[in-house]
Amino acid sequence: MNFFNRAFLNIKGKMGRTILLTLVLSAILLFVLAGIIIQNAATSAVNSAKKSSGATVTLSANRDNAFKKMRQQKSKSKTPTLNLASVNIKTAEKIGKSKYVKNYNITSSTTANAKSFDAIETSSNNQMSNPMGGKSGSSSSSQGDLSISGVSSTDQVSSFTSDTSKITSGRGIKASDAGTKNVVIEKDLAKQNSISVGDTVTIKSTSKKVYKLKVVGIYKTSSTTSQSSGMMGQSDPANTIYSSYTLANSLKGTSATAESVAYTINNPAKASTFIKDAKKSINTSKLALSKDDSTYQALLTPLNNVKSFARKIVLLVSVAGTIILTLIVILMIRERRYEIGVLLSLGEKRWKVIAQFFVEMAMIMVVSIAIAGFGGKFVGDAVGKQLVSQETSTTSVATSNNSNGQGQMNNGGQPGGNNQQSPGGSNSSSPQSTSSTQQLKNLSTNISVVSLIQLAAFGLGIILLAIMIGSIGILRLQPKKILIS
Amino acid sequence: MLTTKNLEYWYDHKENKLFNNANLEFAEGKLYAIIGSSGSGKTTFLSLLAGLDKPSAGAIEYQGVPLSKIGLTNYRNKNVSMVFQSYNLFNYMSALENVLTAMAITKAKHANDKEYVFKMLSNIGIDQEMAKKKVTHLSGGQQQRVAIARTMCCDARLVVADEPTGNLDEQNTREVLNLFKDLAHKQKKCVILVTHEPEVASLCDQIIELKNKKFSIV
Ligand SMILES: Nc1ncnc2c1ncn2[C@@H]1O[C@H](COP(=O)(O)OP(=O)(O)OP(=O)(O)O)[C@@H](O)[C@H]1O
Ligand SMILES: [Mg+2]
Repeated sequence: MNFFNRAFLNIKGKMGRTILLTLVLSAILLFVLAGIIIQNAATSAVNSAKKSSGATVTLSANRDNAFKKMRQQKSKSKTPTLNLASVNIKTAEKIGKSKYVKNYNITSSTTANAKSFDAIETSSNNQMSNPMGGKSGSSSSSQGDLSISGVSSTDQVSSFTSDTSKITSGRGIKASDAGTKNVVIEKDLAKQNSISVGDTVTIKSTSKKVYKLKVVGIYKTSSTTSQSSGMMGQSDPANTIYSSYTLANSLKGTSATAESVAYTINNPAKASTFIKDAKKSINTSKLALSKDDSTYQALLTPLNNVKSFARKIVLLVSVAGTIILTLIVILMIRERRYEIGVLLSLGEKRWKVIAQFFVEMAMIMVVSIAIAGFGGKFVGDAVGKQLVSQETSTTSVATSNNSNGQGQMNNGGQPGGNNQQSPGGSNSSSPQSTSSTQQLKNLSTNISVVSLIQLAAFGLGIILLAIMIGSIGILRLQPKKILIS
Repeated sequence: MLTTKNLEYWYDHKENKLFNNANLEFAEGKLYAIIGSSGSGKTTFLSLLAGLDKPSAGAIEYQGVPLSKIGLTNYRNKNVSMVFQSYNLFNYMSALENVLTAMAITKAKHANDKEYVFKMLSNIGIDQEMAKKKVTHLSGGQQQRVAIARTMCCDARLVVADEPTGNLDEQNTREVLNLFKDLAHKQKKCVILVTHEPEVASLCDQIIELKNKKFSIV
């Protein structure tokens, strides 16, 4: 192709102009690259945010509906009772097979009375007003002094994931403990009663049945309020005994049901899809699915802001760059009318003349990409840092607000509150959000081959447009007018 | 080889015709001079022969085929070669590259043959060292010789030149004119040049004068 050769001779022969064009193109591409780098960094940060900040979906009684029913009863002047539906384990397991579920925790809580040992009594352990109203009367006649928290696995319980509680000896409750009478008790309770791992203790259910339990682990909690106090009125956290949900069920006299099931979703962005799917398997008037992806959302918003800002940079610079380059091409073609006239007089095709200009620009672009590659690293770093520092301050405010709100929910268990009424159901936003914030701070603005290829694509697009618009004049150019003057 | 049939041309108004019913014939191996007063339309006529513009009426035939049928771009590419008063070389190239580029575009027989081009350039007084210099570093006479070398190295059988000696001194004019003679007599091309210098015209094989919108052989 002869025009390649001409293009090469031209950029070599007109060094001054070539250098100027290289600088202009480098400046344009530098800003495009900075935008691309930030955009890519934000995208990969969103992806890792998806992985690290899990969302939980909790399946539990439809409290809104239950309260509505209770109010209706009130208006019919009956004694109002709150009937909270329980979750069928089979249904829960079926839902748990969804590809969006990483793992799930079945929760069932009750109270019992210590028999072979003494529960811890604190001055605050007097009769608390029951915030739930009516609950105590509905299922059991008396309250036990122990809080039995039945779970699938203690590893998934929020107080354990957030390090408020830690196993100090033995082990936690595992899925394989289902059907056993293995329990994990608090360190203070163990100390007071000289219980150690491997011992057997006895308790009495609220229906006066005696159960022999095997202590498989001891945990220490730094919490000052019982996780499950909301429903049962237990106040000292040390009186919480973790067991398999099956044991809690048999203490309650029920089986194959649970109060709630918390599903950990492997991709927070899919939480809504998962809920939609899961709703097909439940009676939505009795049970409800509630989503907590606040950690993810709190991260997502600033990242998406960064992303859309970066996209705007890329767009704006591309448009501005195209306009600038088009004007340069128009000027260049005016300056080179003579040369174009000679080419046309030699019978060269017009598209080949335009192709020559395009090749010239493309050759210059290759050098400009290299220059922009060096410079883009610094620009991207600087802009990225600036953006992230701005955005993370907003994020940390958002996450701290969020965890406060959850704390209230756990302790108060207010009616109409969305989801966090049981220990297993709460999510673990606080510790994860700090690590994700860390991740935000390290927004990687490295230049990858991919971003250079993207840059080349943008650059090619820009010069293609600029040459096409700028060369329209060539199509109308009359060689006679140029050559004969 | 080249004939004009009832050729007419006007720019804006039909009443202002530059020439009327021009019926001329140009043969191979001959050097023609077109003369006439300034503004009479010599350049315009030459641009029609060169395929740079279309006639307003009538036709031009190259070896019996109308230019409109050959296609002007194709005609310029294959059949005609031009030399201008202002040389019209690619100023970012050397003499050698200028000639090679033109040969490549017109797909000349000796395209890419550097040795051939060096030989042709040295025949007209441009040595290898000069041939490798950017043309902007050459004198006017040297540049015009490069332009003629470009014509010599391309295969087009027809050469048109508009005042090719207009910018040259006497010495250079004589040398350049001898080159045109060589083109016609040795390479057997048909060479048509426009000039307002009687001395130049007198050295040509045939003189055609454009006067009062008519061409006549002097
Ligand atoms: N593009 C144009 N539009 C309108 N009129 C034109 C155009 N180009 C030339 N003319 C007119 O046509 C006439 C012929 O011009 P042309 O250049 O052919 O003359 P010429 O014989 O070559 O003159 P000179 O000897 O001065 O070069 C002139 O009167 C000129 O003003
Ligand atoms: Mg003229």
